[in-house]
Amino acid sequence: MPILSYLALPRDGSMDRLCADLSAMEYCEIIPADNQEVVVLVTDTPDEQTEKILQETLKKLPSLHSLSMTFGHNAE
Amino acid sequence: MKLDRRTFIKSAAASSAIAAAGSIFPGISFADWKKQEGASGQISWKKAPCRFCGTGCGVLVGVSGDRAVAVKGDPNCSVNKGLCCVKGFHVVQALYGKDRIRKAQVRKGDKMVEVPISEALDLIASKIQETISQTGKDSVSIYGSGQWTIPDGYVASKLFKGCLGTNNVEANARLCMASAVTGFMTSFGIDEPMGCYEDIEHANVFVTWGNNMAEMHPVLFSRMLASRKRRSDVTVIDLATRSTRSSQASDKSILFKPSTDLAVANAICYEIIRNDWVNWDFVNKHTTFHKGKTNIGYGTEDHFKFKDKPQDITFEEYKEFLKDYTPEKAERISGVSAMDIKYLASLYGDPTKKVTSFWCMGMNQHVRGTWINNLVYNIHLLTGKISTPGNSPFSLTGQPSACGTVREVGTLTHKLPHGVVMNEEHRKMAAEIWDVPLANIDPKPTYHTVEMFRALDRGDIRFMWIQVTNPMITMPNLNRYRNGALKDDRFIVVSDVYPTPTTDVADVILPAAMWVEQEGMFGNSERRTQHFDRIVPGPGETMSDTWQIIEVARRLGFEKQFPWGEDEYIEKIWEEYRRFHAGPKHNMAPYALLKKRSGVQWPFVNGKETRWRFNAKYDPACKPGSDFDFYGKKDGKAWIWARPYEPAAESPDDEYNFWLNTGRVIEHWHTGSMTRRIPVLHRAMPESYVEINPEDAMDLGVVTGELVKIISRRGSVTMKASINGRGVPPRGMVFVPFFDESYKINEVTLDAFCPISKQPDYKKCAVRLEKV
Amino acid sequence: MMKRTDKRIGCVVIAFGLVCLSWMSIPVSVQAAPGIPPDFDSKGEKIYQRYDRTPLAAMTGTDGTRTLNTFYARRQYPGSPPIIPHKVARAFSGDTVKCLSCHDRGGYDAELDAYAPVTPHPENENCFQCHVPVRTEKLFMENDWVSIDPPKLGRSMLGGSPPPIPHSLQLREDCIACHTGPGAVAEIRVEHGSRGNCRQCHVPQVTTSTFERNN
Repeated sequence: MPILSYLALPRDGSMDRLCADLSAMEYCEIIPADNQEVVVLVTDTPDEQTEKILQETLKKLPSLHSLSMTFGHNAE
Repeated sequence: MKLDRRTFIKSAAASSAIAAAGSIFPGISFADWKKQEGASGQISWKKAPCRFCGTGCGVLVGVSGDRAVAVKGDPNCSVNKGLCCVKGFHVVQALYGKDRIRKAQVRKGDKMVEVPISEALDLIASKIQETISQTGKDSVSIYGSGQWTIPDGYVASKLFKGCLGTNNVEANARLCMASAVTGFMTSFGIDEPMGCYEDIEHANVFVTWGNNMAEMHPVLFSRMLASRKRRSDVTVIDLATRSTRSSQASDKSILFKPSTDLAVANAICYEIIRNDWVNWDFVNKHTTFHKGKTNIGYGTEDHFKFKDKPQDITFEEYKEFLKDYTPEKAERISGVSAMDIKYLASLYGDPTKKVTSFWCMGMNQHVRGTWINNLVYNIHLLTGKISTPGNSPFSLTGQPSACGTVREVGTLTHKLPHGVVMNEEHRKMAAEIWDVPLANIDPKPTYHTVEMFRALDRGDIRFMWIQVTNPMITMPNLNRYRNGALKDDRFIVVSDVYPTPTTDVADVILPAAMWVEQEGMFGNSERRTQHFDRIVPGPGETMSDTWQIIEVARRLGFEKQFPWGEDEYIEKIWEEYRRFHAGPKHNMAPYALLKKRSGVQWPFVNGKETRWRFNAKYDPACKPGSDFDFYGKKDGKAWIWARPYEPAAESPDDEYNFWLNTGRVIEHWHTGSMTRRIPVLHRAMPESYVEINPEDAMDLGVVTGELVKIISRRGSVTMKASINGRGVPPRGMVFVPFFDESYKINEVTLDAFCPISKQPDYKKCAVRLEKV
Repeated sequence: MMKRTDKRIGCVVIAFGLVCLSWMSIPVSVQAAPGIPPDFDSKGEKIYQRYDRTPLAAMTGTDGTRTLNTFYARRQYPGSPPIIPHKVARAFSGDTVKCLSCHDRGGYDAELDAYAPVTPHPENENCFQCHVPVRTEKLFMENDWVSIDPPKLGRSMLGGSPPPIPHSLQLREDCIACHTGPGAVAEIRVEHGSRGNCRQCHVPQVTTSTFERNN
C-alpha cells in the first residue's frame, strides 16, 4: 500500500490545468502553493500494480513539467 | 496510533513535500495547508481526577469533537503536578472498548434480552416493592463502591437508609478501607489522614508498611524518589512480606512473616521506650493508654458477632505489655532481625528526623487490620511525630473515591453522611436534611459486606443492586458467594460499563455512564474533593448511577426526596450533602469552587484548605490556645493501644504448606474490566501468573511459564509460574495478581476478616501447589 | 528535504562513545533565587543544562534511522508515553540506571544496531511508571478509541522561518534531547543543533486564533 509525495511543477502557464488534471485522477490529492507555481502531490494506492500504472499515467500528463519525489512509504 | 495510520502517513508525506518546497522555493506558501491545522490544534483540555486509584491525580482530558482523544497530567493539580502513570496516560481509552454496555438487558429465561432502559428501571422498582412486601425491607440491598461518585453514594444512602428504611447499604471499600477507618476511629475518634501528600517533601524517613507503592501508587512513589534525589538526607525503608519493585528502589528492604507486622510495630515501641526516645511532653498532653479484647476470632462463620471492650490502662501497664515484644522476641515471631528492629526504632525515635509511614492493603486486608493501624499510630504518637509537615502516619487508599464516597458519605451499613445510625442525634440530622420521618431510619446496622453476601446465599437477602464493582471476581471464598447469587429467587441488578463475571450473574444489567461521561466528584486519600464535568457524551442509553437511582426512587414514590432536574442534579445534591459536614471539622468547599479548582481539601474553613489536621497552626477546628488537639475524642487526646500479635486465620500446615498472597500490578487496576480493554496495558500484562520463590520452584520442578495448580480448602486455580519476575516472594509464599477473570484466585482465598473492621484478609491463607 | 544517510561513520561512533563515558558527573543545577521556583518558564533551564553537557558530536550526528512513522507507531496519541519497543528483562524493574545508561545521553547500541533516543525527562526515576514493554500483540477486546492527527510539519509562516513548537512542553521541555543527534527522528531533527537557545527562535503555539482588539 504505497504512499508517496512529490513536488510537481507545471509546464509554463498550465498551473490551473495541472491542478485540475491531478485532482481528477484517482489515488491523488494535491496541495497547490498559493504564491508560486508548485503543487504538492500525495498519492495513496492500494497495491504495487496500481502504483505502477499511476506512475505511468503521471509521466504522460501534458500539463506536468517535472515531478520530484519527497517521501515514500510502503506498508506491509 | 490506531486511528488513521494511513491518514497520518499521508499527512507526513505532504509535510515532507512542503518542507522540501520551503527549502527549494524561498517564500513559498501553502495557505490551504495551514488552514487545516489538524485536530491537534483544536483539542480542548478539560480537568478531571484520574478514574483509577485513590491517589487522585489531576488529568487534563483532550477532547476533539465529542470524543476524548488524549491525556495530559494536570500541572495545576498539586497531587501529581503534571505527571501520571501508564494507566492515567491511557485512561481515556477505557471509555471506548468495543463491548461497552450500551443498552439495558433483562433476563428472560436463560437469555439476556435488550430492552429500553425505562422498562428495566420499571422492573427494578417493582421488584424492590415486591421483595419488601414478601420478605421485608431488610431483604433488599445495594452494594456500591469506592468508584461511586459522591452523588452516586449519596443518593444510594438517601434512598435505602432514608426512604426504604434499610441499612443494607455497603460498598466494596469494606474490602479495602474498613480497617483504615476503624484504625482512625479507635485511635483518633475521627476518620481520614491528618497529613497530606505535601508530607513527602518534608519527611527524611519513609517507611512503607506492606505497601508496594512503586506499582500501586506510582505517582506518589515518584514524588518520594524525587524528594530523596533532591535532598541528601532522605531514607526509604520497605517493610514487606515479599520483594517488589518498591524494595528495589528503597534504601533498605526488610521482610517479615505474614501477620507479624503486629510484633514488629510493638517491638519498635518497646525500643522507643527503652531508649527513652518518647516525646514525653507530647505523650503526657495528648495521649491516653488503652487495651481491648484479645483472641478476637476471624469471622469465618455466619452470624459472627464481635464488640470490643476498651479499657483504660496506665503507661506502666502498657510498658509491661510491651515486654513480650523485645526485639529478640519479636525476631523469633517475625523473622526480622533484632538489629533491623532496633534500626527502625532508631529512625522513628531520632528527634531530628521527620518520619512518614505509608500503608495501604497490606495493613488493611489483615485479620488484625484495625490493630496494626493502631500500632503504627502508637509509634507516631509516642514520638510525637504526627500532624506536622513530614511527620505523618499516612493511610493510602486504593479507589478514586473510597474516601469521598464511602467514608465521607458513609455508604456502609452502620454509617450516615454524618455519624452513625445508632446515634439518635445523627439520625435526626439525616431525617431532617433528607426530609423523611425519623422513624424511617433504622437504628440497627444490618450486614457488612461479607455477611451481606452470606445473607444473599442464605436467602435473608433476595434483592441486590450492584453498582460500579465486580464482586464476582473480588469476593474472597468466591465459589460460595457466586453460587449464592445464582440461586433461584435471588434478583441481582448490575450497573456497569462492560460485561464482567458480575454481569454474568445479573437479572438486569443497566448501561452505566462512565467517569467523564457524567458530572460528579471523587474524594482522594488526602481529603481532597475533586469535581469533574460531563466532558463527553456516553454511548447508547447509558445513564449515570446517580440518575439510575433517582429514576428508581421516583418510581417508588419518592419524588419529594429526589426532585432535581437533569441539568442541575449534581450541584443540588452537593449542596444538600454539604449540610451534613458543616462546621470546622469537616466543612466541604462550595460547588462553584470545586468546579474551578483541581481539587479542594477539607476541612475547608473560611476559604482555606486544611493541610494538617489536629495541629492548631493549620487546623482551625483545634481548641484556641492548644498546640495539638485530637478533637475526635471527647477529651482531645489520641489513644495509644496495647494490641498483641495474633496469627492469621489460616496458616500453612503440613497439608497446605504455602502462604497465598494476592494483589495488583501497575498495568491493571482492580479486576481489569477497564484496564484490560486499554491496548497498551493489556499488551504489557496480558495475563495473571503465580510468583514462586526460586528455591520452591526448584523443589517443585517448575520453571517460568509452566503450569502450577494452587489448591486451598475452598478451591483451586491453575496458572503459569513466574520465577524471579516482577516480584519474588520468600520461601513458602506464592503471590497472584487478581486482575485476570480467567484465573479467579478468590475462589482459593479465605473469607476471614478483622472482627472490628469486618474487612477480609486477601493476603494470607494456606494453599498447596501441584505441578501440572 | 531531509537527508538520510545509511552509512555509519565509525570514528564518530567511537568518539561519541568516549565522550559519553567522560560525562558521568551530574550537572549542577543553578539555584534559583529565593522565592523563585526552579521550574519557572516551562523548565527552560533544562535546555541550557542539556546543551551544556551534550558534546557537539552528539548534537550534530545524523546517522540514525528513526522516522516519524515509527515514532508515532509507538504512541497511542501525540504526547502519550511510548511503549518500550525492545526486549527488557522479564523482571523489568525500570531500573533507572539501566534505562538511563542508554537513554540519558543516547549513543549507538550494537546489539539493536540503532542509536538510542534520548529522554527529555531523565529526572523522573520511575521509568516503568509510564513506559511498559509489549508482551503480546493480541488484544483482550477491540477498542473503538481514535486519536487525533499529530501536529503537521512544515508550519513555518514564511518560507524558511523557524516553525513554532506544535506540542505541549510538559515533560518535553528539553528540545535538544529529541530534536538533535543521531537518535532523533529524521523528520524533526534540526541541523543546527549546535545552537542551544532553542526558544530564541521557536515559540510554542498556544492558540490558533488571531489577534483581535478588544475595543
